Amino acid sequence: MLGFGGEQEAVSKVGLTAADLAAAKRREPAAVTRIYTAYAPALFRFFMAAVSDRHQAEDLTGTAFVSAIEGLPRFRGPVEALGGWLFQIARHDLYDFRRKQGRSRTEPLEENLSEATAATGGEDPEDLALDRLEHSRVLAAMRQLSADQREVLLLRMAGGLTAPEVAELLGKTTGAVKSLQFRGLASLARMLGLRSPEQPPERPYPSTDSDRLTSQEEEER
Amino acid sequence: MSWPKPNKLHDELDALLDGRPVELTDELAPLAEAADELRVELAGLRLDPEVADRHLERVLHGSAPVVQLPVRGRASGWELRRRLVAVALAAALVLAPATIASAAALPGQAMYPFKLAIEQVRIASVQWSPPREAGERTRIAQERLEELNRLVELRMFNQIPAAVSALDRAVLDARAAVSEANREGQPVPGVAIALNAVTRAGRETLAMVAATALRLPEGTREAIRAAVAETQVVVPTDREIEGAGTPPTATPTPITGAEPAGGSETTSPPQQPSTTTSPPEPTQPPAPTTTEPQPTSPPTTTQSPPITEETTPPASSSGSGGDVGSGAAERAPAEVGQIPPTTLPAP
Repeated sequence: MLGFGGEQEAVSKVGLTAADLAAAKRREPAAVTRIYTAYAPALFRFFMAAVSDRHQAEDLTGTAFVSAIEGLPRFRGPVEALGGWLFQIARHDLYDFRRKQGRSRTEPLEENLSEATAATGGEDPEDLALDRLEHSRVLAAMRQLSADQREVLLLRMAGGLTAPEVAELLGKTTGAVKSLQFRGLASLARMLGLRSPEQPPERPYPSTDSDRLTSQEEEER
Repeated sequence: MSWPKPNKLHDELDALLDGRPVELTDELAPLAEAADELRVELAGLRLDPEVADRHLERVLHGSAPVVQLPVRGRASGWELRRRLVAVALAAALVLAPATIASAAALPGQAMYPFKLAIEQVRIASVQWSPPREAGERTRIAQERLEELNRLVELRMFNQIPAAVSALDRAVLDARAAVSEANREGQPVPGVAIALNAVTRAGRETLAMVAATALRLPEGTREAIRAAVAETQVVVPTDREIEGAGTPPTATPTPITGAEPAGGSETTSPPQQPSTTTSPPEPTQPPAPTTTEPQPTSPPTTTQSPPITEETTPPASSSGSGGDVGSGAAERAPAEVGQIPPTTLPAP
């Protein structure tokens, strides 16, 4: 897209321009709608895969988007960086949600809590949410991944972010993100029965237990 | 059997996920398939259009669904009065003890700033009415005078210079307020009389202070003398009275000599020199020595309060003497020079 003066106008992966960003900062309805249309589906997928509850995912999507639009005047990056910024907000909202959910989960009496913990194996709310997705074989397999692998895959596949964007968002190196997504997908493939038995183990990290962190992953943390 | 380096596999998988062309090797094929299944699964998660509309509405118009919470209705008249009383009571509980505690505070004491603050609040509360303001400012001038007397009594000499200045300033403010009330057509003769009494008593106190200062260490003495010499209202008025009967240069007392001089002697009635305001001063130099701060002008012509020049009434036959504590009403017209004659009480 050419702008005034023949300069190449930056366009994000989702087709937004710098003009859209500037207009959205002024809360122009058309620009806000364009940004919502561009990112809301990805945000919803990200939340849905994370919490496995449609209503909660919808609420989280709306809340994150409202926060984003209200905070948009403070966004100083180029339009290409908008996605990463939005998912940063989404990630924070998700953490808040999980914290509240965890808090409400520990409210019962101690004996009830012990029972509940024993029944669930002391797993986190995200894991419990994924349990409810019995109909989704793939998403159910996602819960077997480590939290880092799961988050990387969700940001890459649901959020549509690139490895460098995910790396910046998570404060990791791009190499670490690539490693996490490789291991996550390898584990997923194995759990889904997609890996042929004759395929070699993942050298030089031969652990087949996806939940157990490799030495490299421990370093990455 | 050789395997590709892990980093190469990672890069190839990353390129595959980004949609860049990559040769699909046996190692990558199941991973790509898993990624496709995940992508398909995620693509099936669609946002309800109605929900999307609601979100947009919320962003654009801030009309998110609001849960009505029970709210307290408008306060009734009784409720409002009850709240006002509660607030007044709370304020009284806080302010009253502090006011009482600070009432007797003297300069240099911890509660004194609070006392001054309360005075300012009181002034602010009566500024809508010039007569009330004049009365309040006169009361404050009386308070300053009492403080000065108390400081002398307690021999708190270090605080006296500031107290002298405060007294002079308070009398000046009070006189201005009385003049303002007169200009507004709301004369306050009773206040003017009281202010005159304060002025005269202040003059006497200053004379006593100056006499006492002679026996003090040099630093304190000089500070007190400087403070007395810098007064603009209290002392000049005293000099005005004394100078009415005798030439200013003949004034023997340190107080009158220390005065910056009042220039309105020509409009003052002839009066007897004060005898009570002249403390013994064996070492006190004559008047010209104490007028050194203004060496270019003789004492009788240096400066005079501007209001005095404009409004000092003609000589009054009743004004006499500087005898403090007696005949305040009779001397009032001569001392509150800024009050127009028509507003002053009849001599």
